[in-house]
Formats: sequence, C-alpha cells, structure tokens
Amino acid sequence: MSDGFNEEGGQPTRPGSRQVPGGYHGQYLLVELGPHGEAPLRSEWRELPSRVLRQFLGGSGLGTWLMLRHRAAHHDALAPEAPLAFAFSPLVGSPLTTSAKFAVVAKSPLTNRINDSLASSGFAIAGKRVGGDALVITGKATEPSILVIDETGVHLETAATIWGAGCSEAQRILGQRFAPDWQFAVIGPAGERQVRYATISHDGRHAGRGGSGAILGAKNIKAIAVRGSRTCTWAAPTELVQLAKSVSQRSMGPATEKYRELGTATNLLLFNRLNTLPTRNFQTGRFEGAAHLSPESLSATRERTRASCAACTIGCEHLYAIDRTESDDRVRLEYENLFALGPLCGIHDPDIVLQASRRCDELGMDTISTGGTIAFAMECVERGLLDQPWLRFEDGPALLEAIELIGARSGFGAALGEGSKRLAESIGAGSIQFAAQVKGLELPGYEPRSLQTMALGLAVGTRGADHNRSGAYEVDFSARADRHNLVPATAALAIDTEDQAALIDSLILCKFLRGVFSEFYVEAAEMLNLVTGWDTTDRELHETARRIVTAKKWFNILAGWTPEEDTLPTRFLNQPLPGDAAAELDRDQLAAAIRAYNRHRGWSDEGWVDREQLEQQGLADFV
Amino acid sequence: MSIRVEFYGIPRQRTGVAATVVDVATQPAALQDVIRQLSARFPQLADTCFEQDRLRAGYTANLNGERFLADSASPLPDGSCLLILSSDAGG
Repeated sequence: MSDGFNEEGGQPTRPGSRQVPGGYHGQYLLVELGPHGEAPLRSEWRELPSRVLRQFLGGSGLGTWLMLRHRAAHHDALAPEAPLAFAFSPLVGSPLTTSAKFAVVAKSPLTNRINDSLASSGFAIAGKRVGGDALVITGKATEPSILVIDETGVHLETAATIWGAGCSEAQRILGQRFAPDWQFAVIGPAGERQVRYATISHDGRHAGRGGSGAILGAKNIKAIAVRGSRTCTWAAPTELVQLAKSVSQRSMGPATEKYRELGTATNLLLFNRLNTLPTRNFQTGRFEGAAHLSPESLSATRERTRASCAACTIGCEHLYAIDRTESDDRVRLEYENLFALGPLCGIHDPDIVLQASRRCDELGMDTISTGGTIAFAMECVERGLLDQPWLRFEDGPALLEAIELIGARSGFGAALGEGSKRLAESIGAGSIQFAAQVKGLELPGYEPRSLQTMALGLAVGTRGADHNRSGAYEVDFSARADRHNLVPATAALAIDTEDQAALIDSLILCKFLRGVFSEFYVEAAEMLNLVTGWDTTDRELHETARRIVTAKKWFNILAGWTPEEDTLPTRFLNQPLPGDAAAELDRDQLAAAIRAYNRHRGWSDEGWVDREQLEQQGLADFV
Repeated sequence: MSIRVEFYGIPRQRTGVAATVVDVATQPAALQDVIRQLSARFPQLADTCFEQDRLRAGYTANLNGERFLADSASPLPDGSCLLILSSDAGG
C-alpha cells in the first residue's frame, strides 16, 4: 500500500512517534479489499494529524475529510475503488450521554453527492476500541464476506451462512458465531442487491439515508465485526465526569420529555393540524386517517415498550406490537417511518404501517426513500403514466408487496430500488415534476409549502432533502419567521440550524439533546476541551461547523454539483398546497432565499466555492 | 370571550383531553390569561408546561394554526383557536 500515500491519505502510523489529543487514537485503519498476492485484502494504520482532528473533530466532519482525502468524489459510488468510512468521534467511550455514535460517510449511490448517515450503540464503542478514529474500506472482496477486525488484525470470513438473511437474523447468527464482546454492522438483502437506498444496520438501528448499505453490498461485505480494548485517555477525567453527570441529569428533564413519553411519532397529529403532514406523495398536507396512526391511539390498542441506545439517558425509542396477541413481536416506530409508510402512501391501517416498517428494517432499506419512491410510483399509476395497476394509494397489501419486490430487486422492484429520481427519468412525461426529492434523496415528512424555512433547508442540503442535516423546521415552528412566507432574512436562521447539526454530527451527540443546552457551542467547547486537552472556544466551533458544511459542498462540486440542483421539484413551487391557500411557495422567493443563503456562507450567489474561501476555511489541502 | 385550546403531544398527555374551551373575562384576552385559566383547570399541565403565566422553554403556542406566539402578552381575538405544543418538532 505504498502507492499514493501523500495524495490519498496520511502517512503510515509510526507507533509512539507523536502526541495524540485525548479522546483520539490519532490514526485510522485503511482496508483494501481484493486479492493482493495470496492475501484477500491489505490493511494499514494511517496517521490522522492533530490539525485535522481539531478542524474536523470526528463523525461527519472527519468522514468528509477522509472522503476528500481518498478522492471519493471522482469514483462511481458503487465501484470497487469507491471508499466508505466509518468515523467515530472523540466523545465515543466517554461518560457523556448519547455519545455512542458513529457516522458512515461515502459518496451516495442514490444522489452521487456526499452522504453521511449516523447510527448508535455498541458498534461505535467496540469499533473505536480497535484502536482507530475511523475505518476506511475500499476495493471489493472476491466473494460474500464478513470483514473481521480486532487488535490482532483484519481478515475476511465467508458470509455464506448469512448471505440473504435479514438484518436482525444476520446479527443473531453472528452473535452465536462470535464471542459476546464482538459487535456487528450488517446489511440486509437490499444492500446485497445494491438497492440505492439500502441501509447499514446495527442492533436494530440503521445508518439509514443515502444508500451506504448498497456500497457495502457492492464490496461483497455482508457484515463488519469489531472488537477491541484500546481506550483513549481524557485530558480532565474528574471534570468530565462532573459535566457528564450534569448533562445526563438535564437529559432526563423537560427538554426531552416528548421523546421519552411519546417518541418522535407524536409529531403526526400536530403536523396534520398544521397542514404539514405529507400525504399521497405530497399531494396534500392533511391525512384523514392520521388519528388511527397517532402514538396516542397506538398506545391505547397495543403493547408498547421503550428502549434506548447504549450510553443514552433519553430512551426515545418506542416499540409497538404488530399483532395484538403476540406482544413479543415489536417494531420501532419513528415519525419518519410512520409518515412515509402511512400517509405518504395513503395508508391508515397501523398494522400495515408496522409490518411495512419491520420489513424495511429487515431488508435493510431506508423507510423514507422506500415510502417516497413507492408513493411517487402510486401517483404515476393514478395518472396513467405507469402500467402497474396493482400499485394504488390506500392499498396496504400493495405497499407490502412493493417493499418485498424492492428488497428482492424483482420485477418492478428493480425500478423502485433505483429511487424516485431515476424512476421519474425512466418514466418521463414530466413525472420528475412531482417526484418529491432533492438531488435524488426523497423528502422527509415536512411539507415545504407550509414550512418555508425548511423548504430552503431542503433545497440547499448537501446530502439532498433531509431533516437531520438541516433543522430549519425549528425556525418555522417559532415566532422567528412566518412559515408561509419565505424571505431572504431567514437564510441566516436556516444556516444556524445546519451548522449546529454539522457540529452535533461531528462531536457526535444525539440531536435530541439540543434542548438541554442553553448555550450549546459553549458547552460543546467545554466537553471537547475536557476530553482532548484543547483550548477550543465556542467561536472556534462555529468556524469548525462552517468548515464542515463547506467541505461537504466542495465534495459535491468535485462530484459534479451544479446550482440547478439546489431547488425543489415543480410540485412545490408557484401553486398552493391543496386545502391551504396560504401555503404557496413562490419560485422567485425560494431563489432569493437561496442566494441569501449562499452569500451568508461566503460562497458565490450561485453557490460556488472559490479557492480563497477554501483557504480561509482551512481547506486549502483540497484545492 | 371564548378561546378554544387544542393540546398536542405532552400537553395532551398532561390534560388527558384533546381540546377545551376557555372563557376569559378580559377583552381582548392575552395568552397569559388563557394560561392562568388552564393552570387552574389542569395542574399537571401547569407543572410541566407553564411557569408564572408563561410557557416554559420547550413549549410553544400557535394561534389559529398560523402564527406562533413568543410573547405571553400576545392578544387573542374572540373565537381564536390556540394550540399548545412542544416546540421541538424533530422527527
């Protein structure tokens, strides 16, 4: 692996040769799959300079740096040479609540743009304990394999016994095969078949959006097994434990009550009331069957339990029984899978929505893109543009059948597995106008015509239409903006939410914690300093967040981004939301807000980033 | 004057009802007048969501499904519909 070190990554690590900040190992593991002589792979530790760690932190930020370093923008996302990173963070393994998280970062096969998807729990802790701050995988195994990594080395084992298994079944089999201290990230059948929105699953949770599971599938990797014992030091352990206690205590207070008691699904009835619950492929913002699907209603009719990620004191997960007589059969229900597999497809039967959600989890498919693509196809059928008469809104069995076809990439499922943008391009007839996606990523459950600051956030997002990288809906749900009237002045508010998300996703912490901090950047700096020994300030972290967003934008530019991508589908422009005359988003207003957004970011009006900007933001390495 | 109040999420959990009607003597009524009446009627709601006739951090109010209210002195026209909800809309 001597080729291209200086161009593609850091220098090989020389043990004991330098000081590493607390919370870090100061290196990442590069695994190159594929025959190398008689070996099925090569692996090597590479140095992560302290300057890079301070500039990009971890998680999404560090993963983006690694993707730029390994030139991911220039490769087809599913090509063997395409890199994929699992990035941990300085807070993983610390006593800070919700810090057991990892980011999966790569070029998305769905959008051909940067994609960072996050998941939680034991894989983050065990993965970091192997001894690195990230794992980068390139190449392709010659046969379906399990990538096994611990302190003794890296090797491949056959995945013959789990190839074809659902995510939880694969985890269960691996749990029996390996000792209890191993943790696993797996893909389902959808990832094996390279469905463009396939997930990577760990312990029932998913790095969900953008198709990172398809990348592992393209590399013939069914699962990654990690185990380790290498812990990091903390700069000020006593003070860190005190701060962690304080944050944990606050995390059990009123700011997270909604998540603990009802879960995210509680948005459903409120969004319906405000005409912002996307229904029947975003044809309206109100669903007549919403009451059947509310968590209040579900709790009254079926068993419910709560769960939480490792090292989390919030416990936001609410699991509902599908069959009222079999209480062990439970499904995690979040607002996004509820909206996408319910109202978006016109389904009001909770049993159907829960079954659909469970099948997506088992097959390893992003529920938002699954529901979004199926709903788009349903509207195409309704309009006579698609000859699949069985696929109709309100038809629960048809929804379930479509999900199975996608997971198997069988029949019409092969086209659905490409996502709504590619499907619209193949159908033609102007159908792209009502394919609810940005950059190829299907919209989450926030109606942009009635949440117009969010409309801006969805349009400009580097990974496409997304609610986890832009929290601009927070502005709409406040007195700071008129949610029915987008003005350029709100661009700065949208940027604030995007920057905060970039920082949270790089530290990494759970976004549901954000309400417990009165001054998030100040406390984030304190956390980092106690872990690392740095003298970071809130001001520096603002710059860090902006740098990470710009780095993602630069990745996209390298991958072929053009300004025309930063918009919304025609459906959302210049025509009111049916049933809500006030909810009309003017095309020129959106364009003006996007220009304001770009100016606030220091980019050109169109959104280009120049050399001077890159140098100012510490990104000169990538010019 | 009458104000219809709808509860969503945690506020609904605390009141046990989806909606109620509040009669306020002052005209025009202000958000704080409604909060005062709701506090008397639903002590659990008050404990969680209100603090001295104001909404606690983490909760907000919306007027007629349109405008969010930041000020507890915000006037409420007769016949208004007030929504009490968690301000965090993350999903």
